[in-house]
Amino acid sequence: MSARRALSTAATASPSNVIKTGLIISRTPIVSKTPTKLESIYYEYQSELEKRLTWTFPHWYYFKKGTLAEKAYTKLQKKPIFKVPDVFYPRGVPDLKHGRERSEKQVIVLPEDVVETSSGEEGGESAMLKKIVPNSRVTEADQKKDMQSLERALEEHLYLLVKENTKENWEFPTFDMANGSLLHNRAEAGLKEIGGPHIHTWTVSNTPCKVLQDGQTNTFYIKSHILAGKFAPTDLEFAWVTKKEFKDKVSETYYTQMSHLLN
Amino acid sequence: MLKSTVFATAKNCTSSSALFPAKPMSMTFVRYKRTKGKELSSNVQKAITQMSVLSANRKQPKRLKLCPEDLIKHETIQRCWAEYQRDLRTERNQCLEAQYASMDEAMSVLEQLSPELYTAANKKDMKHRFPKEFRIPTEYPPNKIWYYEYQEGDGNTHKKK
Repeated sequence: MSARRALSTAATASPSNVIKTGLIISRTPIVSKTPTKLESIYYEYQSELEKRLTWTFPHWYYFKKGTLAEKAYTKLQKKPIFKVPDVFYPRGVPDLKHGRERSEKQVIVLPEDVVETSSGEEGGESAMLKKIVPNSRVTEADQKKDMQSLERALEEHLYLLVKENTKENWEFPTFDMANGSLLHNRAEAGLKEIGGPHIHTWTVSNTPCKVLQDGQTNTFYIKSHILAGKFAPTDLEFAWVTKKEFKDKVSETYYTQMSHLLN
Repeated sequence: MLKSTVFATAKNCTSSSALFPAKPMSMTFVRYKRTKGKELSSNVQKAITQMSVLSANRKQPKRLKLCPEDLIKHETIQRCWAEYQRDLRTERNQCLEAQYASMDEAMSVLEQLSPELYTAANKKDMKHRFPKEFRIPTEYPPNKIWYYEYQEGDGNTHKKK
């Protein structure tokens, strides 16, 4: 770092140093992260502990006594073991209150579950009884490995990388400074120049998050997020990549300089 | 028991009255044990049921008593989780520190190169707000994952047309 500082001071002295602005634009995750193995095991343990320690379900409140609904509910429940005198219980003497074994978690089977499954088997005449099927977390673009799609790698941040025809390397888009414009304004305008105007972005701050010094060129990077729209350049290769793919695409030095800025 | 007796008598009465419609029915009034007066009014009963939902009375499970071995297991699990969280925290803090350092470096370089740009980059824009289109990650994706049809000048909101 000190070497670079020394370089930059040297650059200040010469009148020919160039300021450029770059844009690190990301698409934030659309779905939550898949829990790791440790996380899912721990969450399961905690949820079982909580179930064991919860109060008895007040079925008398939800199912009025003597109604058909109550009948259907009680029919579905597993019968508890009652305490009978002069009987040996190897798993402990039953301790029932409100029909719940107090030393165990209460398992409740709801009548709705039965309705849902039965309607599912019959093909589901009514839309109200249809079981809700969530959308897949793996999309079509994921399977096709379409790097230009924003509908892939939903769990991860996606970053925009471009490759100009004249250059060899993939990198974040950079723009030359126009007279009188500010870093973040120029970066926003530059993105629309190369990728078309139909893109909605939000720049995090007007403070640059990184400077890359290459000889006389100083590139200041601004962070931004894409909220809607499409990046559709005419004469440019581009890709939306995750941090992992970023490592494979760019040069090693570029990765070490930039990796701390990416999620 | 009581109800069934009454019902049976009533049934007998109807059948006998059907057989001999002209003859007036002889009725003997019997006073049974009083039951109705002791019943609570429906409003009171409703209030009691509602209170029973909130109350812990007879609804609490048995206290969880772990044997020494289970207790050790539980403590190990909790310690493992705490360390895992600490690792995540350290990693996050290191990342934040690195980001701050690189911002700091960029700003000091900018100060030397161009004081005007430096002042502009340091200025706080009070109108700069967090966008409402920003999406919070959900467990499953929405039906329309990305809004590609955004047109320039749609404003800050993108509504489905």
